[in-house]
Amino acid sequence: MMKIKIFVLSVLLTFPIVPQEIDFNLPHNIKLFADFLFCEKDYLRAIVEYKKYLNTTENDTVQFKIALAYSKMNEFNLAFANLEKIKRASIFYQDGISEKLKLLFIQNNDSAFYQFAKNVVSSDIKYQKLYLCYGLLNKIKYGDKNKFLAAFDNEEKISVEKFYEQKLNPNYKSEVLAGILSAIIPGSGKIYTEEYGDGITSFLLTGLFSYLAYTNFDHKHYTRAWIFTALGAGFYAGNVYGSVASAQIFNAKVNFEFENGLKLYLEEKNYFIPEYEFCK
Amino acid sequence: MIINNKIILIFFFLITQSVLAQTDWVRWEKSSASYQIKDDYENRSYDLSIESISDILVKPVINAYWFFISDVDGANCPFHPSCSTFLVQSVKETNIFQGTLMFFDRFTRDTNVFGRLSHYPRYGKNHFYDPINLYTLSSDRIKIIPVNTFVNDEN
Repeated sequence: MMKIKIFVLSVLLTFPIVPQEIDFNLPHNIKLFADFLFCEKDYLRAIVEYKKYLNTTENDTVQFKIALAYSKMNEFNLAFANLEKIKRASIFYQDGISEKLKLLFIQNNDSAFYQFAKNVVSSDIKYQKLYLCYGLLNKIKYGDKNKFLAAFDNEEKISVEKFYEQKLNPNYKSEVLAGILSAIIPGSGKIYTEEYGDGITSFLLTGLFSYLAYTNFDHKHYTRAWIFTALGAGFYAGNVYGSVASAQIFNAKVNFEFENGLKLYLEEKNYFIPEYEFCK
Repeated sequence: MIINNKIILIFFFLITQSVLAQTDWVRWEKSSASYQIKDDYENRSYDLSIESISDILVKPVINAYWFFISDVDGANCPFHPSCSTFLVQSVKETNIFQGTLMFFDRFTRDTNVFGRLSHYPRYGKNHFYDPINLYTLSSDRIKIIPVNTFVNDEN
């Protein structure tokens, strides 16, 4: 019984003897906690803690991190508003411009992007890269390839050149040619637009109904013959129409893949913004 | 009166059992399973009102097909919208001539059973998504959806 009492007493005593001594509300500790949350990608809570910290101390790094956190959460307007608060004297001012350019790029707002870009692009070559890529996405063609590629590093040039070539000479299919091919040989227009299965099916269906119409006319079964003629003509004309539509879809896919590829590349390159060393 | 420790233990055990009992009976109730493939029958407009000249030709034929064949046969078209709905929509969006051409082209795609999985986005579990806006010959209306993207998960 005595042993139990000693045990309970020792357990109870440890609580007042070893109490919590860290004051979590000290600005330094708030910032440490916020940094931890930021690096754990818990951006929403990191913002709350950073704002708490900014109430006591002015800090441009924290201000910049709040903007980054909003950006990571796809809250672009809030991110932009927080980037605006960074003063010209701050070491993050230049990075802030890169981030703003990136945000406007992602938002794909032409007028806002060009309005902002025209003021900053001439000031530093590093902003030009994103500006040029935005042009690639938005139907602007650049005449001189070397001039276009001059802004990029050697490593980047290889990939960007590919996108440039794709933009200049897209692998489009002619809608007219697809229609004409299908008019000559049913299904060939679809094969031209790389719809092989549909092309073969179209050829077989048109051929089948044409054959049925022919044999029925030959055997003087005129009612059936006219029904098959109508169906054969329907499939023939539908196939010519479908080949033109198929070429349009093919071209839309080329554009879609180009845009997606470029966007993925830029995402991978973090929009030409070097990685920050906040979490290293 | 001396209360036995065992009785107290059993008493508490029984009390906790009833206090923490499962109350969410709905989850365990008998449910009536339906193995019927859901389709958008409810979205079909069976009306025969004439709004344009093409309605005189298309609506009676399509209504007859839906009423006598499709509704009885079940949702067997692999596409969404189904071929008959595709015809109605395309005639409504364009005209009787272009709509018919679009329908014949769709029927060709329907007949081709090869490579569908690697070609179309998905609509629910059982359908391929093939909307009319891809085939109106208006390039502005073409919106590419990547293959195997699930457009709708309701089915």
